Amino acid sequence: MATTDFKDPALYTNRELSWVQFNHRVLNEARDKNIPLFERLKFLSITSSNLDEFFMIRVASLKDMVNAGYEKPDIAGMTPTKQLEALDEAIHSLVATQYSTYNRSLLPQLEKSGLSVVRFHEDLTEEESAYIDSYFEENVYPVLTPMAVDSSRPFPLIRNKSLNIGAMVCKKGGDGELEFATVQVPSVLSRIVQLPTEGKAKKIIFLEEIIERNIHKLFLNYDIVCAHPYRIMRNADLTIEEDEAADLLKEIEKQIKKRQWGEAIRLEVEAGMDKRLLKFLKKELKIGESRIYAIDGPLDLTVLMKMYGLEGFSRLKTPKFEPQAVPELPAGCNIFEEIRKGDILLHHPYQTFTPVVEFIRQAARDPEVLAIKQTLYRVSGNSPIIAALAQAAENGKQVTVLVELKARFDEENNIVWARMLEKAGCHVIYGLVGLKTHSKITLVVRREEDGIRRYVHLGTGNYNDATAKLYTDVGLMTCAETIGEDATAVFNMLSGYSEPLFWNKLSLAPLWLKDKFLYLIGREKKYALEGRPARIIAKMNSLCDRDIIAALYEASAAGVKIDLIVRGICCLKVGIPGVSENITVRSIVGNFLEHSRIFYFENNEHYEIYCGSADWMPRNLERRVEILFPVDRPELKEELFHILKNQLRDTVKASVLQPDGSYEKVDKRGKQIFNSQEAFCKEATDRAKEVEAPTQVSRRFVPETPQGL
Amino acid sequence: MSTKTFAAIDVGSFESCMKIFEFSGKNRMREIDAVRQSIDLGSDTYANGKISNEKVEELCRVLKEFASIMKAYKVEAYRAYGTSAVRETENSIILQDKIAQRTGIRVEILSNSEQRFLDYKSVASKGESFRRIIEEKTAIVDIGGGSIQLSLFDNDTLVSTKNMRLGVLRLQEMLTHLDAKSTQVEHLIDELASAQLATYKKLYLKDREIENIIIVDDYISPWAVKSTKGEDTMMETAKLEELIQLLRNSNATQVAQTMDIAEEKVPLLLISAVLARRIAEMMGASRIWAPGSTLCDGIAYEYAEQNKMLKGEHDFEKDIIACAMNISKRYMGSRKRAETLEKITATIFDNMKRIHGLGKRERLYLEIAAILHDCGKYISLTDIGEASYNIIMATEIIGLSHKEREIVANVVRFNHSRFGYYSHLQSGVTELDRESYLTVAKLTAILRLANSLDRSHKQKMKGVKALLRENELILTVDTQQDITLERGFFEASAEFFTEVFSVKPVLKQKKTF
Repeated sequence: MATTDFKDPALYTNRELSWVQFNHRVLNEARDKNIPLFERLKFLSITSSNLDEFFMIRVASLKDMVNAGYEKPDIAGMTPTKQLEALDEAIHSLVATQYSTYNRSLLPQLEKSGLSVVRFHEDLTEEESAYIDSYFEENVYPVLTPMAVDSSRPFPLIRNKSLNIGAMVCKKGGDGELEFATVQVPSVLSRIVQLPTEGKAKKIIFLEEIIERNIHKLFLNYDIVCAHPYRIMRNADLTIEEDEAADLLKEIEKQIKKRQWGEAIRLEVEAGMDKRLLKFLKKELKIGESRIYAIDGPLDLTVLMKMYGLEGFSRLKTPKFEPQAVPELPAGCNIFEEIRKGDILLHHPYQTFTPVVEFIRQAARDPEVLAIKQTLYRVSGNSPIIAALAQAAENGKQVTVLVELKARFDEENNIVWARMLEKAGCHVIYGLVGLKTHSKITLVVRREEDGIRRYVHLGTGNYNDATAKLYTDVGLMTCAETIGEDATAVFNMLSGYSEPLFWNKLSLAPLWLKDKFLYLIGREKKYALEGRPARIIAKMNSLCDRDIIAALYEASAAGVKIDLIVRGICCLKVGIPGVSENITVRSIVGNFLEHSRIFYFENNEHYEIYCGSADWMPRNLERRVEILFPVDRPELKEELFHILKNQLRDTVKASVLQPDGSYEKVDKRGKQIFNSQEAFCKEATDRAKEVEAPTQVSRRFVPETPQGL
Repeated sequence: MSTKTFAAIDVGSFESCMKIFEFSGKNRMREIDAVRQSIDLGSDTYANGKISNEKVEELCRVLKEFASIMKAYKVEAYRAYGTSAVRETENSIILQDKIAQRTGIRVEILSNSEQRFLDYKSVASKGESFRRIIEEKTAIVDIGGGSIQLSLFDNDTLVSTKNMRLGVLRLQEMLTHLDAKSTQVEHLIDELASAQLATYKKLYLKDREIENIIIVDDYISPWAVKSTKGEDTMMETAKLEELIQLLRNSNATQVAQTMDIAEEKVPLLLISAVLARRIAEMMGASRIWAPGSTLCDGIAYEYAEQNKMLKGEHDFEKDIIACAMNISKRYMGSRKRAETLEKITATIFDNMKRIHGLGKRERLYLEIAAILHDCGKYISLTDIGEASYNIIMATEIIGLSHKEREIVANVVRFNHSRFGYYSHLQSGVTELDRESYLTVAKLTAILRLANSLDRSHKQKMKGVKALLRENELILTVDTQQDITLERGFFEASAEFFTEVFSVKPVLKQKKTF
């Protein structure tokens, strides 16, 4: 039998196309009639902001490659040019679905539910028009900066991602020559403007329509020939994506002069835009037909998140889930004492993130605590964690904080609070050169009666109390000596000291983690070949590492049963005879963003479970500092296994990858309806109640009896 | 609180490291943190004799960080030692002061024998595993940058220790100088080492059979620790052969990757491995143990031992004495006479405690001086004092610092030669500080007195009893023999004794029939 080349590009899916599929799955939520209407608005808004980010990062990066003449094929054998071509088509179809969803499903439903959106200013009543015009004059007009283009004034710089109104104008009493004029829809004003209505029903109009209606007031000496909204996205990202290969970076450096700064990579225009205006924009922005999106509806659907926030529609939203108390860590407990009783597992957002914040707060106040060390990647504004760390430093503890400045889009924000921590006396380190520190670990060193004891929190999610309410993550609190030693070594390494000779429990990227995974997968393969039980269940956000996928293919071919729960990108294909028949892939897109990474290995009936901060992506395994940690305590392993099993049972929010590369919702026939996220909510609520119940002691006044009678 | 935290700092030639330890009541020594930072002081010292200013700055920065880590752990005590690069730099005193000013850390300088002794203690800090191994015939091979140290155990006591200029860096330099091809490396190391090792075998190892080798180094140990995952296990010597095979058959980059070490360390690993194999062959050892213990472990162990926080299972003083005896044996010293002297000096020392105020350590010097009192005879019968002094100063005694060795050598010297007074000594070859000088004077007085009691070398004075009464030290000897000769010499040495202690020794003979 010929040996299979498990790295054959034919066995892989291009990651960008897989991403588009993921966004389709999010879009499916917006199309799902079983979901409350306003939640659907939110999902549609998410697809829109996702797509913006995708353009700025991924499409821009592919553009760079094409400009640099870099033609190396990707994991699936596609050159950058090919990928861009395929993406053009896929994204056009995605956008078409976005707007048909908006126009055909959501708008009519909103109308029925008492929210009407006036799409064109021409549809306003006279009364409303008068209101709008005065609104324009009072609020909008003062902040507008109209710009006209003629031979003496060049085409202005249109800001990336901004919404603008373009117009063709003609000088009053002139020779009839058309000129271009443009005005930015100001981002300082709310894009949604409510119209006065009687009764409960609400009526809104978008700001750009208001400006369009009044645009003649901006160009008094001109006749307005036509006016339409447009929006551009530029390739202006100064940093080069870490996902790309090192040889690409060199290539781009060489070609840096050729790189076209600020090149437009997407132009969105209102459908039916005047041809002369469109032609002008196309020429000025030097943009090809395939990158122009004619939009039948409002540009930039992220505005729907604002619409979601309109008051008075709570019946059309999913009731907010309140994260539940962790039974092992009741409010007011001494967290260190509880951890000493045994490792504690936290499952967010079903369980509250408060204990993690409390862990640092208590450490800051505890006189026996000597040091606190933590990695911070993305932190919420006004973070209680930052406040606690600063407090600890002021209390004379040694506080070491690793602040990752390279976190995408967060750089500025991060610098601000990093300075704040430094001022408070924390030792702030900014990570390792060339590596993003993505690991989530906190170490508290405490001096106790019988010596130094180390408390460690390890997690799959960022130390961000805001996202901890939306992202599903797991965390472990432990004072195991072996993990404490490793944690100390992690921080020594991050501070620039030499690495330890060996690690007790933790596996770290970029040096050791990939090998560890390959070893674990290989071990299952070995057991399968020996006819022993062999199984892998892995849950992550993205799967696109070639070595890992090839190892999974090999394991599957050897008979290992592999179930993958991959929310986003998945370059692995299922159902290929002799390669991946034993692999299933499902993606869960629900109310909460699936974010935890959990890995189960059967290990010949002595199963092992690991959690960590890394996806199976080259950037996680090779260019970031990541930590994988095992969970040893049997009850906790059981709990994690339970999480994985529930996700595999999900029939509501799960989509299953098909051999043809498409995703289909689970066939519900003959199966019980099961929504894993809802089940976790219920479980968390029940568990919190169980503990609460006995503490409710009924009050009874006891009459005093005279003594000595 | 029953625990105590301690920091051990090693300012090495190529790396500075610190370990934080915790000692708890349960006779337990626990490492709680370890940081290592490469900083090459050696190249500067070895090439220019001085550490450059940039390196000093860098070192201060590193030590300052160490100081802040110490502070974080609320460390109660620390010891910081500089080894060869700091020792050999011309501006060492200025350097030490600069470091103290900038970082608050007082770095002391270790002599080679002190350093080796601490290395040895670091192995001993492994406790049970160490004790088990030295029950068999064992050698410690301590491979450093400049030299290697071979120490032999006999019946769980260290009996000899020798330093040879076969350090890995030195060998590498020679190889570079010879422009050796990689295929020649093994052969050349064997050749370079063989001459010295052959002499060693002939003079010191003789026909001893060694079963186990304990390796202390920076290259093989990390490999061994990694491959055993830190469990104190021994390996067959054949494993070294496997390692060499692996190194031989792959290039440095591959080795660096598969073994997860820095690429520049790969050639040094090969040299260490070849050297260790050569020594194992010579000794006929079948197993090796590379516990990966470092100087920091030894520093902490010694500190804990000295402060009675740890009850060491191993008697290091016994090692020092055994070494001294071995030296004496080599120079044909009389075992019997040494024993008599040891006994008499000890009796006098112990009874004079109130007067001399010296401690346990000084008693050890006296014991060693008694053992080595006549080693110079091997060279010259007329100039015994100077010859003995020179032998002792040229022979390493593990566990004694240079200064301590100087004290012992002087005591032996003045036992025979005219006593040199402080002002004379200052212009001579030795440079003793005042305190050491006083120790020398006191011990010399005791040794001279004891020596006079056995002048005939016939061990006439079996049971000497001493009694301190006011200004007199009454020595009662129990012998039937004529002690006229001893009496004569006693008078002469009593004069010096009185000068030093203001106590007059009186000799009484008791004849029991």
